[in-house]
Parts: sequence; structure tokens; C-alpha cells
Amino acid sequence: MTDLLRRLMRTPQGAIGLILLAVLAAACLFGPWLAPHDPEKMDFLGRFRPLGAQNWFGADQFGRDVLSRLLVGARSTLPMALAATLLGTVAGAVVGTASAYLGGRWDEAIMRTIDAVMAVPGLLLALLLVSTLGNGAGNAMIAIAVTFAPGMARVTRAVALTVRGQDYVKSATVRGERASWIIFREMLPNVMAPVVIEATIRVSFAVMLFATLSFLGLGAQPPASEWGLMVAEARQYVHQAPWILIAPSLAIAMTAIAFNLLGDGLRDAMNPRDER
Amino acid sequence: MTAVLSLRDYTLDYLTGSRPLRVLQDISLDIAPGEVLGLVGESGSGKSTLAWAIMRHLPKNARELSGSIRLGDTDLRSLPPRELTRIRGRRIGMVFQDPSTALNPTLTVGRQVTETLVTNRGLTRRAAWDLALELLGHVELRNPEALMRRYPHEISGGEKQRILIATAFGCRPELIVFDEPTTALDVITGARILDLFARLRAETGVAALYISHDLALVSRVADRVAVMKKGRLVEEAPAASIFARPAHEETRKLVAAVPRPENRLVHDRPGERVLLAAEAVSVRYARPRLFRPPPPPATHAVGFDIKAGEILGIVGESGSGKSSIARALTGLADFSGGIRFDGRPIASARDMDGAYRRAVQIVFQHPDGSLNPRQTVGEILSRPLKLFGTGQANLSAEIGRLLEQVRLPAAYATRWPHQLSGGEKQRVAIARAFAAKPSLVICDEITAPLDVSVQASIIELLLSLRAETGAAYLFITHDINLIRQIAHRIAVMRRGELVDLLPIDAVDADHVHPYTRDLMAASPTPVG
Repeated sequence: MTDLLRRLMRTPQGAIGLILLAVLAAACLFGPWLAPHDPEKMDFLGRFRPLGAQNWFGADQFGRDVLSRLLVGARSTLPMALAATLLGTVAGAVVGTASAYLGGRWDEAIMRTIDAVMAVPGLLLALLLVSTLGNGAGNAMIAIAVTFAPGMARVTRAVALTVRGQDYVKSATVRGERASWIIFREMLPNVMAPVVIEATIRVSFAVMLFATLSFLGLGAQPPASEWGLMVAEARQYVHQAPWILIAPSLAIAMTAIAFNLLGDGLRDAMNPRDER
Repeated sequence: MTAVLSLRDYTLDYLTGSRPLRVLQDISLDIAPGEVLGLVGESGSGKSTLAWAIMRHLPKNARELSGSIRLGDTDLRSLPPRELTRIRGRRIGMVFQDPSTALNPTLTVGRQVTETLVTNRGLTRRAAWDLALELLGHVELRNPEALMRRYPHEISGGEKQRILIATAFGCRPELIVFDEPTTALDVITGARILDLFARLRAETGVAALYISHDLALVSRVADRVAVMKKGRLVEEAPAASIFARPAHEETRKLVAAVPRPENRLVHDRPGERVLLAAEAVSVRYARPRLFRPPPPPATHAVGFDIKAGEILGIVGESGSGKSSIARALTGLADFSGGIRFDGRPIASARDMDGAYRRAVQIVFQHPDGSLNPRQTVGEILSRPLKLFGTGQANLSAEIGRLLEQVRLPAAYATRWPHQLSGGEKQRVAIARAFAAKPSLVICDEITAPLDVSVQASIIELLLSLRAETGAAYLFITHDINLIRQIAHRIAVMRRGELVDLLPIDAVDADHVHPYTRDLMAASPTPVG
């Protein structure tokens, strides 16, 4: 693990990604203490106050400090995106590996179902699920996880198919091992490397999808300082005070870039042939 | 006369993790025009690295410390990459070990051969095509015209290697480097490739560096032989005398490890009880589909029996259905016909219950693939122990005992497969098979990827395990000399059919199948 980290730091993408992630992690962990103001304290004299010494990133339509809201909002944005990705990845990886292991008709049935689900655009599927399950951050997370699972299942299955042909899997079959042992203990550990990389890239999609759902009013609800919601609320004041819109947008973009860079870095760091 | 290739005090390191690893140390050798230098040594002795150093295609972490490599009067070490491209193929050719990966699967054979000729000989496309036809006809390929229009997956391994050799010779290089060109091929195909090599060499007078771990083969093709050990050249002598009068200890060790049919290692007779009987087993891989006729079966109605404690060898060229039999017996492939185990009938893989799975174990060819890279040796060995009895309590003691049984230190239980050498991995795979206390172990070409000295120690281990446990072996191999040392009976397979099933002392008799006679004749006579 430390070796992986060392290799990751050696690539420029990996190093920048890790540094950005450290900043984001700090915001998640210590956001409320770092925030200079109370994120929900209104100040009618300071409405639309531009960037300055009092409010570093300016103030919004109720005079709330944008920086404080961003720092506190990190907590409701990032863990949600991570949890959604994790849930989707685990579900997808298990389904994909099982499908590759079972093969034949079962594989055919599972993969065609997944194709059918993937035919519905991701955002539309998430909207459909949230409107069925009801509004709220938890339901939005489940919706995003369900949207991600089919794609992850396909990626995993492709890798698992080559693993299935390996002699150690055959050896387990010959030994009379149960299917669950072969899937979870023999195959899954060997398909994890590409799946982990795919997952890190998807975290950024999750952040954006989550922001979109909140923007549409289906995810987090006001007065939460979730980043997507902040963008949605700031939309109507874009001509008066563009900073209210730009600050959370930049935060979302930074998260997406950080995870994408980490994914690229991991791809190089986890490749054993890359002898750097 | 100046040498075609001349190396002087060449030393090379690989930078790995903590400290540099010396791979080649003070290598000096010369190859005269028209001469073939054989290069032998254990795996890991630096043979292939030397070949890549000559081709100037080294990995990024290689550091050349000293010495020179000269091709004629060109110093290869000082050439820029652009110049090197003009040397490769044109002045030095190379033929690789595995023909199946040496051709691009998305281009036709003809396209690849002509392209090489166009770049290296400066011919026009038309002329290159004609020359390619001539070259392929010259290496005894039937109907070259049709062959050139096919893709690599549509032709056999032997044909591919012929095409690669024809192309290498066709570019008229001064030197050709052969890196184990027949190892991936079966005995008969390999023997034909060697005849072809001798003929082309006599016609073109090209010099060659021939790398192999098969001593018999090297002594047949080479004029001089050099022996490598741990990156050093330890002995160099004419091929006629080196193995008959080896001077260095390493050469003696290599010669001693070569299997000789007359040197029988098994002297007992097997029991009378029939352990396993295969009755008209035929294996089919693909199910018949709508609008598509079913493919021919991999084996047609093969029947044989194995007695308790017997070693039955199965030999035959690649694609003859040897491994399909192993897959049927272990339930990995669907089969028709029946198996009778200890008198119990088994009609399909569903009938293989825990008792059968315990009693019949398999060891696969490639130890890299048969051990899960994400499990430690201890975990790998604990699975069969948990499945087939022995309580949880003394698990680590049992693992230690198993490792000891295959002559590995008990501390290896905490190691990962990638930390072991090929021979050690194969020992772990054998230990895993014996953890179940089997009565029949199927060995599917288990010595093929190992070099002679490791191979000899694995065979010795298998025989001592047999003496301890009384297990029977179904030994699938294409090494005839090896199987004649250990088997009680030999089954000869060809194109999915069993052509002969002979006691070991009858393989040279007159009444054998003509194919069996060919097979025996094609296997190289041991050296020394």
C-alpha cells in the first residue's frame, strides 16, 4: 500500500490528484471549524457583498458567507458522491464477476438485462428513480448507485472473463469449491485493479450527477449548502453577483479533476510493467 | 576472417527497487561467418537478455556498464535509434519462441511477409509478393498462394514458425538470433523445423546465435556451444565434444539432468486393481447451434484404464486431444461416454462428488497461472485441507508438513506466488494436489515450461511422493525421452484418437502404429 502511494506520487497526475484530494478531505473533516462564519447566518446589510476581506468569496442573496457555505457543504457533497460510487461499484463488480463465472445462458440473460438498463440515459434513470423513491439526499445516492452499476458490471465482466480462463479458477472448480468462494475469493481480488481505477473516474461523475439532481430540486433540500444546490440557487443572481455561482461551480470542477487525475495516476501506478 | 558478431567484456545491470542486479558479466564471444553458436543455460542465466542486448532492445531499467557489441565493423552500442532500425531485420534477424504472438493477428500473413521484404530489401510490392511466394514454397509450405491470404489464427503453430523463419532468411541478414524457436512446438513439428533450419543455413551460409535449453537440440544444430550460468559464460567448446566431455561443473550438471530413456527411474510394477477406466470418452467443446454444424469432437471415443499406483503416459503432438482427456476426467469439459472410478460409474461432471474430487487431482502446465496471485502460499494450500478433511486446529502444522513434503521451507507459507521461481511454484501446485491425499494425479505437461535441471528435480519429487502415498499418475507430455524413463505404459494420441496403448518395453517393437514409430524417431537422441 505504501509502495502504491509512492509510485502514485511519482507521476505528476497522481501527485496533483492526491494534493487536491487532501484539500477536499480537509474541507470534509474540518469544514465547520475552518469556516470563518456561520454558513446559515443571514446579514441583510451584506447582500451580494463582493469578494473582499469580510467575505473572501463574497456573500449570497441573503448575505451568507459563500466560503463558509462551501466548506460546510463539502460534507454533504463528497461523502454522498463517494458512497454512491462505492455502492454502484460493489454491486456492479459482483454482478459482472458472477455473470462471467456462470457463463452460458445466465451470462446472456444478465448482460442483456444490463444492456436494456443502459439504454436509458443515466440522468433520466436517476430522475425516474428519485421521483419514485421520493426527494432527498439518501434516495439520490441510491439512484446514482443504480445508474452506475450496469456500466461497472460490464467493465468487470470483461476483465473477469480472462480471469475465469486462468488455471487457478479451473483448479478451484476441480476441487469442488462453491460458486460463492470462486466468485468472491478467487476471481474478485484479481479483477479489482481496473475496477478501482474505473471507480475513481466515476466519483467525479457522481459529484456532477448529484449536483444536477440537487440543482433540479430532487437531491439535497434548502437551506443545505450542498454544492449543486448552491449552483441552482445562485442561477437567478448570475448578473448581479456571479461569484455566488462561480465559487461552487469551481469546487465541483476541482473535485471532478482531482478524481480524474487520481484515476489516471492509479492506472499507471497499478501497472506492474511500468518500471519507474 | 573478421567475425560477424563480436562481444567484448559486455556487462549489464538491471536497476530493480533497492540495488542493481547483475544480469550479464564480462561476456566475450565471436560468431564467424556461416557459423552457428548454440547458447545453453538454466532459465534466468541471461540467455534471452543477451539476445535482446544484441538486438539493442533493452528495457528502460537496463544499464550497460562496459564492453562492446560489434556487428562486422559496426559498433552497435554507439548507433542512434534511427540507424538501429535500419540494422534490425536487414542485418540481424530474429525468430522468437512463441510463433503465435509473433505475428499480428489483424493482418494477413502475406501482407506481413511482403511488408517486411519491402522495408528491408527495398523491393516493390509486386516483387515482394513474388519473392514471398517463393520463400514460403521453399520452407515446404503447401499452397503458399492460399496461405498468404489467411490470417494468423487460421494456420497452425508449426506453419507460423516456418513463415517467420522464411521471412528472417528472406531478408538476407548477416546474423539471425533464434530464441528457443522450437520450444513452443511439439516434437514432430520441432524436428521438421530443425531439418528446415539446417537446409536453409547450408544454402544461405548465414551466421546464427541459437538459444535453447534443450541440449540435444543444440548439439544437433550448432557448430560451437557456449554455456551460461548466472550471467557468465562458463564454457565454450565445439558442439561435437562439449556434452561428451563437459569441462565445467555447470555443463556437467546440465548433461546429467537430461532424461535418457534407457535410464529407468521406476522399477516396481503397478497393482492389479483398476483405479479409473475411461470408456469411449469423447469431448466436444461447442454445442451445436442453429444453422451451424457442430464442430468435430476434440477426442473420439477414447478408452483406457489406470491401475492403482500406475504411471500412464499420454503422448502426442499438440492438438491431439491429450489435454481434453485431462479436462474430461476432472469435469472441466463436457464429455460423452463414461468413466468408472473404483468400480463406480460416472456419466457426467455432475456425478463427480466430493470423494471423486478428492481422489482425482490435477496439476496444470503453467505454474504462473495455476496459483492465484492474490493469495499467499499458505492460503492456497489451506483450501484443499479445509475442503477434504483435517481439522482446523493443526492447519498451519499441516501446511508446514505439505511444504516439507515438496522440499520447500515451511516459512514459504507466508510468501506470495510472484516471489517464487517457476520450479518452486510448480512444487506448491504439486503440494496443493497432494493435500487432498489423492489416489490419481493428472499431470498436464507440468515439466514443459521448466528447464532441464528443474525438470529433473520435479520428476524426482513426483516419484518420491508416489513412493510415499502410492498415488497413480496420468502423465501428459510431449517429451518422449522423459516419459520413457518413468511410465509403466504409454498411450499415443493423434487427432483425437488413441492409436496405441503399449507397455513401456514394447514401444520399440515392430507391431506398433506407424505414427508411434514416427514419434519415437522424432524425439531427439540425448546427448553425452
